[in-house]
Amino acid sequence: MVWGQERPVPVKFTGKRGELAAMLLRGYVLLIPTIGLYRFWLTTWKRRFYWANTEIDGDPLEYTGNAIQLLLGFLMALAVFVPLYGLFFYLSTQSSEAAIVGYSGVAVLVWFLMGYAIYRARDFRLSRTLWRGIRCDQGGSAWGYAIRRFFWSLLVLATAGLAYPFMAANLWAYRYRHSWYGDRQFGFTGSWRQLARPFYVSYVAIALIAAAGLGTGWAMGGVPVSGVPSVGGVVVMVIAVALIGLLVLYYQSREISRMFSSVRLGQAALAVSVRARSLVGQYVLFGLALAGSYVVLAIGGLVVLGSVASGAFAGGEFDLQVFMQNLQGSFSVLLAIVFGYLLLLGAFSLMVELFLGLGFWKLVAQGASITGLDSLRDVKARGEDARLGGEGLADALNVGAY
Amino acid sequence: MSESIAARFHDGLTAEVHLVGLIHEAGALVIRAGDGAELGRWATADLFAMHGRKDELRLGANGQPTGARVVVKGREDVARVLATLPVLHQKRRQQAGREIRIAVTATVALAAVILAYLYGVPLLAGRITALVPPDWERSLGETVARQMQASLGDESGFQVCDSNPDSLANRAIARFGAAALEGSGSPFELDIRVVKSDIPNAFALPGGQVFFFSALLDQAETQDEFAGVLAHEVGHVAHRHGMEQLISTAGTGALIGFILGDMTGISVAAGLGATIIDARFSRDAERQADAFAGHVAERMDFNPAGLADLINRVGADDEFARALALLSTHPLTDDRKAALEILSQQRPAGLEPPFTSAEWNAIRAMCGAPDPKTKRK
Ligand SMILES: [Zn+2]
Repeated sequence: MVWGQERPVPVKFTGKRGELAAMLLRGYVLLIPTIGLYRFWLTTWKRRFYWANTEIDGDPLEYTGNAIQLLLGFLMALAVFVPLYGLFFYLSTQSSEAAIVGYSGVAVLVWFLMGYAIYRARDFRLSRTLWRGIRCDQGGSAWGYAIRRFFWSLLVLATAGLAYPFMAANLWAYRYRHSWYGDRQFGFTGSWRQLARPFYVSYVAIALIAAAGLGTGWAMGGVPVSGVPSVGGVVVMVIAVALIGLLVLYYQSREISRMFSSVRLGQAALAVSVRARSLVGQYVLFGLALAGSYVVLAIGGLVVLGSVASGAFAGGEFDLQVFMQNLQGSFSVLLAIVFGYLLLLGAFSLMVELFLGLGFWKLVAQGASITGLDSLRDVKARGEDARLGGEGLADALNVGAY
Repeated sequence: MSESIAARFHDGLTAEVHLVGLIHEAGALVIRAGDGAELGRWATADLFAMHGRKDELRLGANGQPTGARVVVKGREDVARVLATLPVLHQKRRQQAGREIRIAVTATVALAAVILAYLYGVPLLAGRITALVPPDWERSLGETVARQMQASLGDESGFQVCDSNPDSLANRAIARFGAAALEGSGSPFELDIRVVKSDIPNAFALPGGQVFFFSALLDQAETQDEFAGVLAHEVGHVAHRHGMEQLISTAGTGALIGFILGDMTGISVAAGLGATIIDARFSRDAERQADAFAGHVAERMDFNPAGLADLINRVGADDEFARALALLSTHPLTDDRKAALEILSQQRPAGLEPPFTSAEWNAIRAMCGAPDPKTKRK
């Protein structure tokens, strides 16, 4: 039998948006009485949903992590952040120059720590991923990854972005070459050459559009030194920004497709095809959904405000002064404002999860297929990886994806 | 479960898929391959269910390899297995109960931390403030003033009403401040500035800087009112309330960051200086400053209750923004006014007024003629 010549097996995703929405809404409500602590459970449920609905050759993934591990990890991360917070407070009390130098130092430190956190978080997720009874894992060194990422990003900065394909390919390779499925190590065949073309084409195009758009917009009075910006100038600039957004998404779709398609596991090979227009579609859908949810909230908010401060709407006309007087000193109104703020925040993160998070996962999963799956049947389980207490730093730094 | 149920089986040792039949016999789940060979016999008591998709049951067992799974698909088959193995429901309930207990314990602990914090931080802030070196507080006050001017004033900062420190008005104000602060043991030198602003407000920053906005001065009808507010602000300086407030705010920011789970929110700390004018001093701090003003009035002839009159007048103004500006820093309660009136009755007779009438006229005129728009009706 010759491996690699069998038909590719498509990856399936069976999750429904409604199911995720119900889970998230329930979770958001529970966040309130638990003073935010339910987020660890919510993350766990969310992952169970994503993992369990991603099916490869008849067998779904299984997420074996639990919320307690995340909670403990977060408590550990606090140990890093409490001193950092103290430092921040001290800096904010210093003279402006010292504070700016200090803030920059802290920002650089946080940027460095993010690399560590990203790698540890990936380790946590992989080591809690089961397929066909065999656990994945990640080796390598999180500090090594953080150092790599840090110096690469300095180089990218120094070259005005031109070094990005080298950094991306290098970090993808580091991540996958240190990943394991049971006793079998992942491989990575990608290189910067696969990214160079789409990246530099987008780069030049973005530079040209930015220059042309800004130039034209400026000339048409989109950014006046004083007074009202002209409509034409603003329109030109908005179009330029939209085009740049499209180019960024185009490049992202190429990077995702080509880098994922370079992932190997012994004789098994992953192939992923994500189209730029599907990616754009996700963002359009997200924008529409967000706008829709805000319209609904705005109508609801007006109704509530109308009943709380009904005097302001007396006679069919809205009287701002009466309205403000109604607001003053009323505890129920303060409560309504806090509640309204939480609703806006909740609607936003719900739409992000439902249309960007789920949309992206579905795009990758449904665009993926694997050849040589049969070669994995003799993969053996490896020992336990118990050293991970959680991914607290990632949670604290807000880099935890999915 | 008399007939066998079709399932997929992973032994947790190799990534092989076995299509098997399940039978429940003699207190165990028996896993048999298509050819009848027994692949596993899991005691019922050891079984547990993992979370899976709808209509899919994933079973593991204690004592087996951690990845070993039996997977049953389809609503009917899942229902049959669950009916045969009530232990699965039990275990899931136990697990859920454990997690709920942990969540409740963690929430109660967090609530306790928050409460301890709300009550403890003001107490602690006072203690910590006493440890802050005055030099540090002074330079901090300057930073805060700069940040505040950036957020309130225009680019050039506040416009001081009378830039000549030796003018009659400024000399009178400085003399009053020094006299008020005398004997309090404060390590700070006062720097009182009357500046142009439409907001009727006055406040004290850490390190001895006091700002008095022209809109508030315009509304002062007697020197009792002006001296009362000024003495109250000097009281804030003497008690180092600004520093105390700053420490409390920093602590609160850390707490909010913890609750929201986003410690990158610590950038909030960057805007600390700007928030000090929005954050109200605690009621205790206001009472202390009022009492301070009352004691100053035992040495100079002004009625500290004027302070309440001025705040009341500004508070009664119909323009919402102004009222809010003052009320948020100086919450006025009936208790407070009553306490001020009691203080004003205890004053000895035969004291010198804080300002001569020439000085008071100079102070009233130092910001130019009041803008008729901001003048009270
Ligand atoms: Zn005060």
